[in-house]
This record gives sequence, structure tokens and C-alpha cells, in this order.
Amino acid sequence: MDKNNNIFQKIQQLDRRYIYIILAVAIILPLIFPYNSKTYTTKPAENIYRMIDSFAPVFPEGATEEEKDAIAMAHDKAVMLAFWHDASTMSELFPMELSIIRHCFERRIKFFTFTIFATSAPIIDMAINEVKKSDPEKYGNKKSGEDYVNFGYKVSSLLLPIIFGMGEDISDAMDIDAEGRKVSSLPIMTNIKNYNDMNLVIDFSASSAGTYWIYYARPRFGVNVAVGVTAVMAADTYPQLQTGQFIGMLAGMKGAAEYEKLVDVFASTQREFSSEILRNEAEPIISGDTNLPYPFRQARIGMNAQSIAHILIIVFILIGNVGFFVQKHLQKNDN
Amino acid sequence: MFKKTIPLIMVVTLGFLFVGFVFIPHKIAQDFYYVWFVDWIRAMSPFGLILGIMSITLAHTTRIRRKTPNWQYSILALVGLYFTAASGFIWGTQEGTPYMWIFKNIQVPMSATMFSLLAFYIASAAYKAFRARSAEATVLLITALIVMLGQVPIGISIFGEGIATLTQWILDVPNLASKRGIALGVGLGSVAVSLRILLGIERTYLGGGE
Amino acid sequence: MYEIFSNWVAAFFTLCVFSFLYKDNPFYKFAEYLFVGVTAGYAIPLTYNMAFIPYVYQPIVLQHRWELLVPAAMGFLYVFTLSRKWNWLSRYPIAFGMGSVGMSVPLAMHAGVLVQMRGAMIPIQDINTFLVFIGTITILLYFYFSKAHTGLYGKVVRVGIWFMMVGFGASFGYTVMARISLLIGRIQFLIADVLGIIK
Repeated sequence: MDKNNNIFQKIQQLDRRYIYIILAVAIILPLIFPYNSKTYTTKPAENIYRMIDSFAPVFPEGATEEEKDAIAMAHDKAVMLAFWHDASTMSELFPMELSIIRHCFERRIKFFTFTIFATSAPIIDMAINEVKKSDPEKYGNKKSGEDYVNFGYKVSSLLLPIIFGMGEDISDAMDIDAEGRKVSSLPIMTNIKNYNDMNLVIDFSASSAGTYWIYYARPRFGVNVAVGVTAVMAADTYPQLQTGQFIGMLAGMKGAAEYEKLVDVFASTQREFSSEILRNEAEPIISGDTNLPYPFRQARIGMNAQSIAHILIIVFILIGNVGFFVQKHLQKNDN
Repeated sequence: MFKKTIPLIMVVTLGFLFVGFVFIPHKIAQDFYYVWFVDWIRAMSPFGLILGIMSITLAHTTRIRRKTPNWQYSILALVGLYFTAASGFIWGTQEGTPYMWIFKNIQVPMSATMFSLLAFYIASAAYKAFRARSAEATVLLITALIVMLGQVPIGISIFGEGIATLTQWILDVPNLASKRGIALGVGLGSVAVSLRILLGIERTYLGGGE
Repeated sequence: MYEIFSNWVAAFFTLCVFSFLYKDNPFYKFAEYLFVGVTAGYAIPLTYNMAFIPYVYQPIVLQHRWELLVPAAMGFLYVFTLSRKWNWLSRYPIAFGMGSVGMSVPLAMHAGVLVQMRGAMIPIQDINTFLVFIGTITILLYFYFSKAHTGLYGKVVRVGIWFMMVGFGASFGYTVMARISLLIGRIQFLIADVLGIIK
């Protein structure tokens, strides 16, 4: 074998641990030294944002805080957030959950949470507490049972009874919340009876679990369903997006970054959604004039690292293939 | 009779009652589900866990008894199992309890990190295994490269918004056709299996033996 | 202080798992077995509080709904899965749960097949709707194994293979993104929460 062949062979046989180190460095550096980058939002993410936003109560001009509280409490729209994942896929799904909770808090939209995995139950608490802790002045006074309620962990064999049951009466189907309180006695349930009022379910999962809702809840009760999925599942979701069975989708960390941006640009400033603003307005996530807490830009800073890592993986694929083809060519010449 | 026939009759009878529940809005068909079935399935629901706990306990105690390689770690698994459970019963399961501390600082980091190892493996595979060996593999790789670039801000900075548009087209058109073709196959297959169970033809879920 | 200590414990277990990248070692094994135990143990009190108490103890013991002893006893039969002799008893709870296939036949047929077929049969107005139609049909033909993939039929199903390759490529691109995201999450934890480098 000639010298060239040896080099390409060596390239192909590089110890995997060097590859690991290069990847780790490619991710660590952009996280330590974050930079501003533009997040492009997609239709499936915008659709979820717009539907949730349409659930917000409308307050008359000049309403006092007490009046606003009363209107928000009596409002007959709510969103269900189904946390169907454990910690293994938190990196992708948790920032989505934070952003949607923040959206609901900002626009005073009632939301419910529940899970069918024991290991997801604390993730719900972590998400709600993280949002409250990140901006105590704005969200610290949000109360369980009034602004939101966590129904907590339900054994997975009860999933279908719960899905069907909520079509009749949510209080009855969920029975008790995570704190052991009777759901029917909670003030948040005023004017919220079934899917007619809780007309959007967003299922966060690392699987095709969202299809449960479109198989069992949507045909019978007409509820809108959206999904927050890990990127692995994203491509598989397009048939259901095209038919409208899923009204929207957040795909992996990119989807979370999109929603972070939407909440920052519109909900946190109490503005209506506008494609124009999205296209033209600058989006500083690290400059000095933004006091945004880290959890609210976690996915977008993560996407900086994702950018570098993708370029690295593409370079790996190209080097590997160049080595493969050169070696193949040389072997053919030898023969 | 008790071993196979009655369970089979249960599946078929309940199955047709459920068909009725879906198609018949009459009170009796609906009450079967909302009044009777829900309470029964709720009362059954906690017991599946006992099987899981017994199974883990048996597997690890057997390893310890037989002193199989690395049996010492099985002690750790059992301690983890029973200590975590006991902490929940003794100190409660709310935020701020030892039970929640164990979960947040032991289970969560390990679960997340185990899956994050896959990033290293996929990088290594990108370097060593992803080869354009055939025309089909080349199409797959090129599509993957476009999607990877189209999803990240840097790809759009380098190649312009066109790469994001192309990615979206790939996802909306050829990917949609591909996934729909597969989804229809899977959908028809799963309906066929469900129908076989409903009619009592498929019985493998009952396990082997008499 | 409490939070710092907790974060360092979490960091220790994170690094134990990462150590597997070098090679299998006692730290990794320690983490792996503890993980299995803690995960299973975690579910016990939660299931007791959220299912046993409200759905078994309260209705039977406090409200005297004795008929619920039947499903509770049937649920208990699950444990016989582990017995060779009494294994058949576990068929009862399995059969009870399996009855819901009656629901999935019509509903899965509707949402999983008919709605998708309707989505595939929209009027062909442009090149994209034409491509989606051709792709779906050729893939379905590819999975029809009763006819040999030769001649003209073979050429048609080959189109289906190309569509599938593009679909797999899209999934693969997304999978790379997913795996990298998981690692980013862990590194964010280490450098933001533990080391406090980024705020």
C-alpha cells in the first residue's frame, strides 16, 4: 500500500475518543461564549402560539387588577399540557414547556398539566417552579388551583378513561390533583367543563404518543391537538400536520427556540402576532440591554451550540466519505 | 376452561361492548363505560406495579444469591429501590422532601446523561460509518445534510434562507409522501391485529401454555 | 449552600455516566444500577398515593363499595405472571385490559387510515400535490409483497424507494439534531448550574 492510502486509512481508523473530545469542545465553546443568532419560526410552531394566544381573556380598557383577576378566573378557555416524557429527553422538551407556561402566565390563560409516567411528575413541578422563580415579580403570584392546576401522575392504564372522561367532565375524569385536592372544588374549574372549553391539548413526548389524542379524543369530541416532540419524531409527524389532525408541532430544541422567540417578541410585550414583526425585528438574546433570565433563552443559546455541532458532524461525514472513496479508488488501481 | 376459554370470552365480550360504546350514543352503551368500566379499571390500576417491583427484586436477589459477575452492584439497585420508596412513604412526596431530592439529583441527571451519550455515538458513526455506498444511500445522506443545515441558524447564515425553504419543502412534500405511505401500512396493520384480537383469532397475548 | 451541594451531587452522577465514554468502569456501573433501583422505587409511593388510596382504599374501605374487591383482586393476579404453575391467572387482568381493542378498531381505522387516505386524495393542483400523490402510491405498492418487484412494476416501486430514502434522510437529519440537543442540555447543566459560568 502506498503512502496516501496509509493516511486515508489512518483518518478512517482515528480513535473514537478523539472524536468525542472534538464534539464536546464544539458544544462547550459556543455555550460559554454565546452569540446572537436569528431564529426562523415555522408555521407549525406559529400555529400553536396563535391558538394558545386566542384563548387569552380580553380585558376592558382601564380595568383594575381585581377586575382582571375576576375576568381571568371566569374565562371559559383553557389549555391542557400533557407531560409524557422523562428526564432523558428534557433537553429538548423542557424549554418548550417553560415557554408555553410562560406564554400562559403572560396572557393569563388557564392551563392544566398531567402525566402518565411516574418519572414525569416532578418535571411538571420543575417547569412551573422554574418559570415562577425566573421572574418572581411577574409570575411569583401565580396560584395553583386558580391560574393553573397540575393533575399530576395518573396510572397509564387509566389513560383511555381519562381521555374519554374529559369529553364529559374534566373534574370527574381527573378526580384529584397532584396535591390531593378534589378537582371539582378548585376555583380554576369555574366555567371549564370539558373539551369544549379546554379546546387544545399539547402533548410533549419522545414518541408517537400524540396520536392517542387524535385517535380517541379528536374524532369524538373535536378537540384541537398539538405536539411537542423530540426531533427524532418530528419527520414522522408531517402526515398528521397536513391533515390538520395536529394543529401544530414544536420539533426538538429548534421548536423550543422558536417558541421562546414568539413568547419574547409578542406575549411578553402584550403584542398581537405579526409575521412582519418577526421578520424585521432584531432579536438580542445576549446583548447588555436584555435582562432575560437564562431559562427563557436556553433553547436559543443551545441552538448556537447546535449550529457548530451540525457543521462538525457534516465535516465528519465529508472526511469519512472522502477517505472511503479515495481508499476505494486506490484499491481499484492496485488491483 | 378457566385457563383460556373464560379470558378469551372476556376479551371478545368486552371488545364488542366497546364497539357499542363508540357507535351507540344510548345511555346504556355509554354507562357501561363511564359508570362501570372506569371504576373497575381504576381499582385494578395500582397492581401492575407490584409485578414490576417483584420482577426487579427477584432478578437482583437471584444475582446476589448466585454470585454472578458484578453481583455487588445488585445490592445497590435493591437499596436504591427500597430506600427511595421508603423515603416517599416516611417523609412524603412533595417538593422539598428527601424523596424528591433523590429524584432530582440522582435519577434526573443519570437519565438525561445516559441518553446524551448517544450524541457521541452518532458523531463517531458520522465519521466512521455513514458512507455514500450506493445511489440510495447518497440520496439519504444528501437529504440529511440539507435538513441538518436548514434547521440551524448558522446554515441559514451561510446558505441564505433558501436552505430553510428547501428543508421545509423536503419535509412537506417527499417526506410527507414517504411517511404517509408507511403510516397507512402501519395503520392498516394495527387495525388488522386489533380486529384479530377482537374476533378471538389472535391469542398470543394470553401467553403460551394451556 | 444546599443548592450548590445538590448540584454537585447531580454533577457527580452526570460524570459517572459520562465516564462510560472512556470505557466501562465501576463508577458507571455504580450509577447504572442505582439508576435502575431509584427509578423503580420512585414509582411506588406515587402510585400508592395517586391510585391505590383514591381508587382502591377509599371506595372499598371508606365507602364500602365491596363490588370493587373483584377488580382489585383481578389486578392482583398480575403477580402470577412470575409463577410457572399459576401463570394462567395473570390472563384475567390482561384480558380485561385487552377488551379496549373494540374501541381501537373503529377509531384507529378512522384516524389512522381513513383520514390519512382523505389527505392523500386531495385534488392535484400543482407539482407538490402530484409528488405527494405519486410518492404515497409507489410506497404502498412497494409494501405489496404478493407481486414480484420486476419489470414495469419493479420500476414503479423503485420510485417508492427513492421517496422513502428522502424520508429516512429527513428523519436522520432530525435524529442528529435530537442527539446533539441531549448533550447540549447536559453541558448546559454542568456549566450553567454547577460551575455558574453562564448566567
